[in-house]
Amino acid sequence: MSEPALRVRGVHKSYDAPVLTGLDLDVPAGSLVALLGPSGCGKTTLLRIVAGFERSEAGSVEVGGRLVEGPGQVLPPERRRVGVVPQEGALFPHLSVHDNVAFGLPRQERKGLRPEEVLELVGLAGLGSRMPHELSGGQQQRVAVARALAPRPSLVLLDEPFSALDAGLRAAVRAEVRASLRAAGASAVLVTHDQQEALSVADVVAVVRDGRVVQAADPWSVYAAPADLGVATFVGETIVLGGEAAGGTVSSPLGAHRTDSALRGQVAVVIRPEQLELAPADLPCVPAVVSHREFYGHDALLRLALPGGATATARTAGHPLPEVGAHVEVGVRGPVVVFPA
Amino acid sequence: MTELLIAPPASPGPPREGDALPGRRAVRAARRSRPPLLLVIPGLVTAAVALLPLVYLGVRSFEDGTGVVADVLLRERTARLLLRSLLLAGAVTTACLAIGVALAWLTVRSDLPGRRFWAVLAALPLAIPTYVAGFAWISLLPDLAGFFGAFVVLTACSYPYVLLPVAAALRRMDPAGEEVARSLGLSPWQAFRRATLPQLRPALAAGGLLVALYTLSDFGAVSIMRFDAFTRVIYTSYRSSFDRTPAAVLGLLLVAVTLVLVWLEARSRGRASYSRVGQGGARQGAVSRLGRRRLPALLLPATVAGLSLGLPAAALLYWTAVGVRGGLPGSDLGGAAATSLAFAALGALVTTLLAIPVGVLAARRAGRLPRLLERASWAGHALPGIVVAFSLVFLSVRYAFPLYQRTPVLVLAYAVLFLPLAIGAVHASAAQSPPGLEEVARSTGAGPTAVLRRVTLPLAAPGIGAGAVLVFLTCMKELPATLLLQPLGSGTLATKLWTETGVAAYSAAAPYAALLVLLSALPTYLLGMRTGAFDGRGRR
Amino acid sequence: MSRRPRRWRTASTVLLTTALLLSATACGSGSDEDEELAAAAEAGSLVVYSGRNENLVGPLLEKFTAATGIPVATRYGGSAELAAQLLEEGSRSPASVFLSQDAGALGALQDAGRLDPLPAAELAKVPQQYRSPEGRWVGTAARSRVLVYNPDLVPAGELPRSVFDLTDPKYKGKVGYAPTNASFQSFVTGMRVTAGEERTRAFLQGLKANEPKAYEGNATIVDAVNTGAIPYGLVNHYYLYEKAAEAGGLDKLTARNYLFPGDDPGSLVNVTGVAVLAGRSNPNALSFVGYLLGNEAQTYFAQVTKEYPLVDEVDADIPGLPPLSSLQGPKIDLSQLDSLEDTLKLLDDVGLT
Repeated sequence: MSEPALRVRGVHKSYDAPVLTGLDLDVPAGSLVALLGPSGCGKTTLLRIVAGFERSEAGSVEVGGRLVEGPGQVLPPERRRVGVVPQEGALFPHLSVHDNVAFGLPRQERKGLRPEEVLELVGLAGLGSRMPHELSGGQQQRVAVARALAPRPSLVLLDEPFSALDAGLRAAVRAEVRASLRAAGASAVLVTHDQQEALSVADVVAVVRDGRVVQAADPWSVYAAPADLGVATFVGETIVLGGEAAGGTVSSPLGAHRTDSALRGQVAVVIRPEQLELAPADLPCVPAVVSHREFYGHDALLRLALPGGATATARTAGHPLPEVGAHVEVGVRGPVVVFPA
Repeated sequence: MTELLIAPPASPGPPREGDALPGRRAVRAARRSRPPLLLVIPGLVTAAVALLPLVYLGVRSFEDGTGVVADVLLRERTARLLLRSLLLAGAVTTACLAIGVALAWLTVRSDLPGRRFWAVLAALPLAIPTYVAGFAWISLLPDLAGFFGAFVVLTACSYPYVLLPVAAALRRMDPAGEEVARSLGLSPWQAFRRATLPQLRPALAAGGLLVALYTLSDFGAVSIMRFDAFTRVIYTSYRSSFDRTPAAVLGLLLVAVTLVLVWLEARSRGRASYSRVGQGGARQGAVSRLGRRRLPALLLPATVAGLSLGLPAAALLYWTAVGVRGGLPGSDLGGAAATSLAFAALGALVTTLLAIPVGVLAARRAGRLPRLLERASWAGHALPGIVVAFSLVFLSVRYAFPLYQRTPVLVLAYAVLFLPLAIGAVHASAAQSPPGLEEVARSTGAGPTAVLRRVTLPLAAPGIGAGAVLVFLTCMKELPATLLLQPLGSGTLATKLWTETGVAAYSAAAPYAALLVLLSALPTYLLGMRTGAFDGRGRR
Repeated sequence: MSRRPRRWRTASTVLLTTALLLSATACGSGSDEDEELAAAAEAGSLVVYSGRNENLVGPLLEKFTAATGIPVATRYGGSAELAAQLLEEGSRSPASVFLSQDAGALGALQDAGRLDPLPAAELAKVPQQYRSPEGRWVGTAARSRVLVYNPDLVPAGELPRSVFDLTDPKYKGKVGYAPTNASFQSFVTGMRVTAGEERTRAFLQGLKANEPKAYEGNATIVDAVNTGAIPYGLVNHYYLYEKAAEAGGLDKLTARNYLFPGDDPGSLVNVTGVAVLAGRSNPNALSFVGYLLGNEAQTYFAQVTKEYPLVDEVDADIPGLPPLSSLQGPKIDLSQLDSLEDTLKLLDDVGLT
């Protein structure tokens, strides 16, 4: 494989308090990495450092194998070949769609085919003469992507690009943008706090916490094999129960489970709600009482009171739903994750 | 000001999730990073230009030792003078704030009959020089002379400095705050006072500062009304003793007062930022129904227009009519108009060009340097024209003799006098476009110069244009500096007007005054139509 | 976003373009003028700073050029402001000649060593009291302070004997004056110089107690007296004659001038004057001074500006204007009228501002 599109090593940054504390990140060429983390974890700061809008205090940043920031060296944003798609598109209001897209091209190419070509890539062919305010929010966002892609950057940074869109529109725009990036063969970093977004579009999800990447892996691994309890609770809904591990097996109020961990003794057992099944024929079950339920149409969440006082949440598609107060039998499918208690 | 730039937005857009906002700390850091030399170097030039008079005032004040300075400063008369001038400035500013807010609210937020008409009319007094208005008043009511006369004339001529920014702020303000206040049980007046007025603070502070400094530096009104304010005493000091030291010391004192006022204004804005984040424009403010008070409410704009426009216009018409019977000055009028327009256009152009680096820096960067540059630009603004003129006489005779009494030095004087007007407009309009746009532009490969040229300036163009118009207007009206610095043999409408009134030929002077007002009225009209650009949100 | 910003952008583009065009014109015309001036300077033209109004002396300067072929470039301004400007410019001043509205400004420049001595032959043309004792400036025309009055309102023989009488309660509310006018201020200065500080203060206090009516200028006072709005006014003599010229003759007016007899400070005679600036040995400057003291200019002053000519052989033929020789007025060195600051302080103290 060629040079990674982005390699960040040991980046430090602090304002009043430390924000980035020795952050490492790799973006393989042609892939989309989602930087996922809660508010204030420093992911936007990292993005701004990579773009060159801010300086790091220590560490290095390489884009396409070229050092853009490191000890004694800083390239200004315009020389990094890093395209940026800001949160709300930030289209130039005084320029037409075509001119927005052509903005970063050398003068002689602005009148050429490239702007239309990129507009086509994002599915907006023919809209070049419009002004930004004549477009819908989703279209504006796609123009912003086209503008970032037009100069053929080594890397595209997307800063929560879909958060300003309506929920209904978000998924569609997300898919289109993902497709455009793939079609352009672009390497990209997507900053988001939405784990669903990260898991659904990224090749690699990098979870940021307290100024560093705590886990970077493909979406399934991050979900199924989180690096620690924090990652586990952040990337999806969890049931966390106390348990006793015995190297490969663990027992919890939900019964005995298989686990890949070799831990022994007191542990925290992490189970995803969709692993819980009501009255499965092929699994050992424990009795429980339904204490609360929320119906979502395609599925429902049931809060279950377990023997011994613990509670667990089950995601179930089963019909009919048991009433609150009903006695049910519940089993856990698949292995569980455990962490030291 | 650093803090102001990063404080929470006044009218937050829809709540954002996560750290979608790139963190206030991040923004602050970006703005704290070293400002680009591309702006800093011209910005330093601008500040140096604005500080030119201080060199002269310093030399003149201290040439006879500090004893003389102390002597002038410690005179009882100086203290009385300061008090009198500040009283006048305070009274005029208070009146202008009241009139400005009331008219702005009536024309923007109420269903006043013909409010668009009144809105345009209310801005027009900016076109009337104080010496014209002063003359109109004194010829009608000779007993008005004194504090009250100066107060009336200055208020009538300068309230648009408050009206324009306040109207712009009201127009842009999201009415949600006021609506929420009403829903919480506040009366309309309480809601205005507690929800709307606080948001108007920056506009009020900016407009009030301009009015206060205008009052301090104006000569026309106080001389015609025979009120001994700073400027009049500085003039008579030149005129009476031929000793330039006392005048220079008083000039320095005036600069000090100005800087204190500028500082107070910055403080009075409080810790709020007013640059809109979020998408789209705020919802248009709901119109308040005046109901039965709709017709009585007309009294206010009508009275203000009558006093500030009608009365001078009537006096001018009367004298012009008298003058026409004696034959118009004819060709002189055209030549003087052309000269006025040319000088004012050059003044506006140069002042605006000088203002751009400081205004953009101040809008984009926090920190000591941009703030210092911006404040330095106020130094010349409160000085009477004659002081600035003598400064430039002194300096250009010594260091730029070939330019002396040539157009460039006159234009420079205009810049020294009126820079803050342009800088305020540039700052306000540059602050309106989100800094994110410039970052995106950089990331597409455009360098700082290209970003300035292709993004920042085009976006700020309307505001910069409005600032240029304001400077243009003010240059048109300028008299004392023009008189001393214009090239030999040229004459503007203002200087011709002065010539004619010098021989008490009011009827011969009236056509010049009328033309001056008419030519200034068009740009004023444009300015009134585009109040958004001159909205006092600059200069934090 | 609405479409309005675009329209405004068009408007501002138009404005900016206009501004640029105008500026270009200004530069063009400015440099034309500059070139003209430079050329004129080389050709030996004369730069005059004139504290006298363009309307009054402009035509005279044209006559000078017509008569001598010497081009003149003039800067007009207030006499005091121009004197201050000349002081700031120092020896590099472009000006060769200073025409002043009063002797005070000339005195200040003389004290600063900025004036060249004038040839004795020119000085000799003018009576001694109307020129600099040091021979560095010379009066060109004279004016006297008068009491303008309305004969319809003032019974014959009730005219005051002296300006000091105006403090008498019987003149309460009947006197018009222009407190901020330079001519009134130099009248007070003259009184201070001749009658002393204390007497002047007493006079001003008495005048104030009599509630005089303040006017903006002398011409408006003459108007007011003529229409009977007020019986008396303290003015310069020529305002009545200007008004008469406008009205078509003195007999068309009611108001008349009255000269206080003797050396009353109320009849102070002041002059307009001319001086040659040191450092520019322009021979044309002396021609100019000579011209102003010659027949043509002196006649012009008499007939057009209604002033008293100062050169003996010229007679002012203004009906009702007494000959210069009949004027007495207080005897002072007119250069001393530069102590205006003390006058202003006094006026300020008394409250006549």
